[in-house]
Amino acid sequence: MRSELISANHAAAHAATLAARANRKGRGFCSGVYPITPSTECMELLCAQEIEKGQVVRVEGEHSAMAVCIGSVAGGARSFTATSSNGLAYMAENVVAAALLRLPMVMMVANRTLGPPWNIWADHGDSLLLRDSGWLQFYCADNQEVLDTILFAYRLGEDARVMLPVMVCQDGFVLSHTMAQTLIPAQEQVDRFLPPLSVSHRLADQPHALGSVILPQQTEVLRRRHHQAMGEALNIYPELQREFAEIFGRELPGPLVGYRDEDAELLILSMGTLAGTVERSVDRLRERGVKVGSLRIRLLRPFPARLLREKLARARRVAVLDRDISPGFGGVLWGECRTCAGAETLVQNYMLGLGGGDVRPEHIEQLVDDLRGRESAGEPMIMEVGV
Amino acid sequence: MGQSSPQSPISRIARDISPPSHISPAAVGEGPADRQAAAAVPAELEIRVHGRGGQGGVTCAKLIAALFAGQNRYVQTFGDYASERSGAPVRAYTRVSAKPVRNRNKVYRPDQLLILDDGLVNAELLDGLDPGGLVLLNSGCGLTGLDPLFAEYRVAVVDATAIARRHKIGTRSVVIVNTTMIGAYARFIGLKMVDVEQAYRDLGLEADLDAAQEAFRTVEIRETFCRKEHAEPVVMRQSGRVTPLTEQFVDLPMPLKTGSWRTQKVIYEERPAPCNVGCPAGNDVVGFIQALKNDGVEAAARILQQTQPLPSVCGRVCPAPCMSRCNRDGYDGAVNIRGLERWIGDHQQDLLLQPKQQGQRKSFAVVGSGPAGLSAAYTLALEGHWVTIYERDRELGGLLRSGIPGYRLPPEDLDRDIVRILLLGVEVQPGYTLDTFALERLLENHDGLLLATGLDCRRSAACPGEDLEGVEQGLDYLRRAKQGGNVRLEGHVLVIGGGNSAIDAARTALRNGARRVSLVYRRGREEMPAIAGEVEEALEEGVELQLFCQPRAYLGDGRVEAVELAEVDLGPVEADGRCRPIVSDRSSRIRCDHVLLCLGQSADLKLVPDHWQIRDGRFERAGDPLPVYACGDLSTGAGTVTHAIGDGRRTALRMLAGGPAAALSEIDPPSSPAVSAEEIRFDYFASRPPTADRHLAVERRLQECREVNQGLPDASEAERCLSCGHCTGCDTCLIYCPEGIICRDGARYAIDEEQCKGCGICAAECPRHALRAAALDGKGESCAAN
Repeated sequence: MRSELISANHAAAHAATLAARANRKGRGFCSGVYPITPSTECMELLCAQEIEKGQVVRVEGEHSAMAVCIGSVAGGARSFTATSSNGLAYMAENVVAAALLRLPMVMMVANRTLGPPWNIWADHGDSLLLRDSGWLQFYCADNQEVLDTILFAYRLGEDARVMLPVMVCQDGFVLSHTMAQTLIPAQEQVDRFLPPLSVSHRLADQPHALGSVILPQQTEVLRRRHHQAMGEALNIYPELQREFAEIFGRELPGPLVGYRDEDAELLILSMGTLAGTVERSVDRLRERGVKVGSLRIRLLRPFPARLLREKLARARRVAVLDRDISPGFGGVLWGECRTCAGAETLVQNYMLGLGGGDVRPEHIEQLVDDLRGRESAGEPMIMEVGV
Repeated sequence: MGQSSPQSPISRIARDISPPSHISPAAVGEGPADRQAAAAVPAELEIRVHGRGGQGGVTCAKLIAALFAGQNRYVQTFGDYASERSGAPVRAYTRVSAKPVRNRNKVYRPDQLLILDDGLVNAELLDGLDPGGLVLLNSGCGLTGLDPLFAEYRVAVVDATAIARRHKIGTRSVVIVNTTMIGAYARFIGLKMVDVEQAYRDLGLEADLDAAQEAFRTVEIRETFCRKEHAEPVVMRQSGRVTPLTEQFVDLPMPLKTGSWRTQKVIYEERPAPCNVGCPAGNDVVGFIQALKNDGVEAAARILQQTQPLPSVCGRVCPAPCMSRCNRDGYDGAVNIRGLERWIGDHQQDLLLQPKQQGQRKSFAVVGSGPAGLSAAYTLALEGHWVTIYERDRELGGLLRSGIPGYRLPPEDLDRDIVRILLLGVEVQPGYTLDTFALERLLENHDGLLLATGLDCRRSAACPGEDLEGVEQGLDYLRRAKQGGNVRLEGHVLVIGGGNSAIDAARTALRNGARRVSLVYRRGREEMPAIAGEVEEALEEGVELQLFCQPRAYLGDGRVEAVELAEVDLGPVEADGRCRPIVSDRSSRIRCDHVLLCLGQSADLKLVPDHWQIRDGRFERAGDPLPVYACGDLSTGAGTVTHAIGDGRRTALRMLAGGPAAALSEIDPPSSPAVSAEEIRFDYFASRPPTADRHLAVERRLQECREVNQGLPDASEAERCLSCGHCTGCDTCLIYCPEGIICRDGARYAIDEEQCKGCGICAAECPRHALRAAALDGKGESCAAN
């Protein structure tokens, strides 16, 4: 284990490399990549690695990148790719295919606002576009978490009870290009955590077609199984978490991360790096005597509804922060969370930091003031943070 | 170099001391900080770095983070990313804390500010920095040149650009200062140089340590006693109207004036071509060749005749120093400039430049009608003055007429050039022998007098036996040949000398009966002053070279029968680049029937009154300057037609200006250095060997006495000219400009200075170096502002 001052893009590339090498005793590693800001440095570093039984294929577009990944896993190899924004949108058809074909792999998404007009900075609109694609979705809050979650995602997705691909999202620039001390585990530790990939339906000696025509009743069954596998992922999470801590000597955060939330009357829900800034504000507000806490949704799919319900039970007021918008509805996260609060609880939606707007502790304090002054929840609000 | 790249893991922080932020609180405790944190490091610190894209600002912030990671602190560091490229103002940030850093917003209330480029300094830059805060500035102006904006801060100034440039960090135009700045920064905040050393070793930046050390040593620090007050950052209050897309009728975002990002400027101006710089006559060589290529022979002649009265002559006998300077020489062969000049002289016979209308016409006398005299007369006539040429011979031309054989310079070609001069209204007094008295009379009758009598005194080697019959001055022999006198020679002819006259004499002898001609020269063939092509032609015709020897005595009884030749050794290299000849004791004897002496000439000033003195080419009488000047060989002794032409013109202009010698530099200002071959982008030019002059077959030359060199077959050789330093409107800059801000402006280009970011791609791509990039001296500007 060594500590390096690196960006989260590089942390992701290190994680992918370690996972790739860990499958050297299995059927190796193959990855399709295509660059797009702000995920590019991840694939660049991955391309520069020497991987035994490994191949990184530089293709002509994201759609093909995912096609390479699908083919690789269908052949029993471990796979990885990284993309952002419109690159992910372009990839979408094959993204859906990977999940429906039950092919476990990991994709790092460096979140970036969809265009046009073009904007390279972070919001969650790109990966939320594929919220219902059948992939697991993690949203990370710091550099170490990006590295650890990618390793964890392989283990979780490749589990025979799950067999699903996993998206590990991190905010573009705010994480992807920000450097912080990051612990990089030794290969031997990763080897212990990630046994060789086994894909039961892989294309082996007997050639066969994957995903040909099916009828409505077959579809119903397959969708139910897909849905159950998502549930399984939540069930086995704690078990794998324990194993992670045992091997790497540090905790991997759960699907839901609380901060000073136990006695909080006000809870601020958010995803990704927004939560870090919220936690900072919580400290400042607590100094002022405000009983406020933070809840971070780390795993959006499968949605940890039961855990969230428990957490929200005590809160009187909840602010749901969205770095996204579903125009005509409101924040996507708000839509997910509001049903988990009790009938008495006031849940207000704030959408902020869209297009990479720099959310500062001052903004959080401002919205907490708004929340405290409310008699009832209003329409979802867009806060302009500008800059 | 302090730029990070994905392949080089300079990011490595080797020591395993700083756990990341989400380790369980029990494992972290109060963080590793309390173990051994330096006293200099406060519990929490926010740092903002201001620089320009390409200077390494983001890496600078990272180096600071690495420095503090080495002090057992949690760090977070990031840049402000946008679509900007080189030169754009950029910000980068570092947070340092004893506890894990949680928030992810940018830094608006920095405790410390690093400014990598003092051209960026303005009030907005200091936004959010409380009075008493720290500012480290890269500037060559020192503390004394500090902007008053910094009055309330604790300030350190270091000339990191100069230091980094000395240590060759970055490129010549874009110096990367980040690693240097860190040395100054460490000193400023009270860290030790060993801390920097450790961090640089971990990052593989040892090569930059010397620069950091120098900055550590030389940084100037000024304390402040200002009370720390709260300053609300302006940027946090920013808001503006956003136009909905359905109302957007122009490009979004609005155009930025990116010209302010520049660190270098593109200069679009003519640079001297080496041929022009190398032409003693001062001809605009690149100008007339490009005109010949683009607009035809008349346009070319119009340019050439500005400075060249004798194009047909020079196109034949000029040693063409322009060609040895031609940038194409080392690529696929120099452009055949002499051939092109001849083409213009021979194919444009009717063009006559109009003399200037002169309000005050003056009258000048030119003595001598060699190339210098003709050139001076031509210049004075073009300037609109009356000129009379006084010539001793019956015909004009001086040595051109008497000393250059017809097979090299046919008389009709010389006449053509001379007629053009006379058509300007120049009067001629041929067969006019001057003495001292007549000279003083001339001065009374004219406003000025120009002496261009050349070198009239034949040199000899003062060897015994020079008075023997059969030993003769080569120039006299050549003159007799031109005048139709008896020049038949028999047997073995020895020619003494290595210049053009020696070659001419040898070849003339060969055409007039000599059985064998040997040329005796004291140095090697490479050192012969004669035009190399002429030497080649002479050898083809059968002239033999007798090198590294010189005559010691001419032997014979009344008539020369043999020469005793002493062997010459080469001594040390002298100022002119040639080896000094050292005559040895060894000698040999060669039989011969005739000897032609071609040892050069010297000036003959018998004509000039004794009480006149010459100073810098101008005559004086009892200390008073006279309107009398010497020019050409008489003045310079340079010995070539082209030098004589140039000196004739310059002396005439100087006489018109009436000034002292110094005025010469105003007439012909010294030019900036010529475009060198290294500055030419040869990959834009297909290799194409030069077109050679056509030559008469060797066997026909000796019989027919016709002109040996028949010149170029056509003018296509002009297409080979690279047009060094002279824009041809090729559009390369326009095509390559990544911003699309170069556009055509008539025959030239306009660069939008408000948008030019100074990337320098246009200059790098310009095939002929008509555009160049130069560093902007931002420092000078900011000092001046104070």
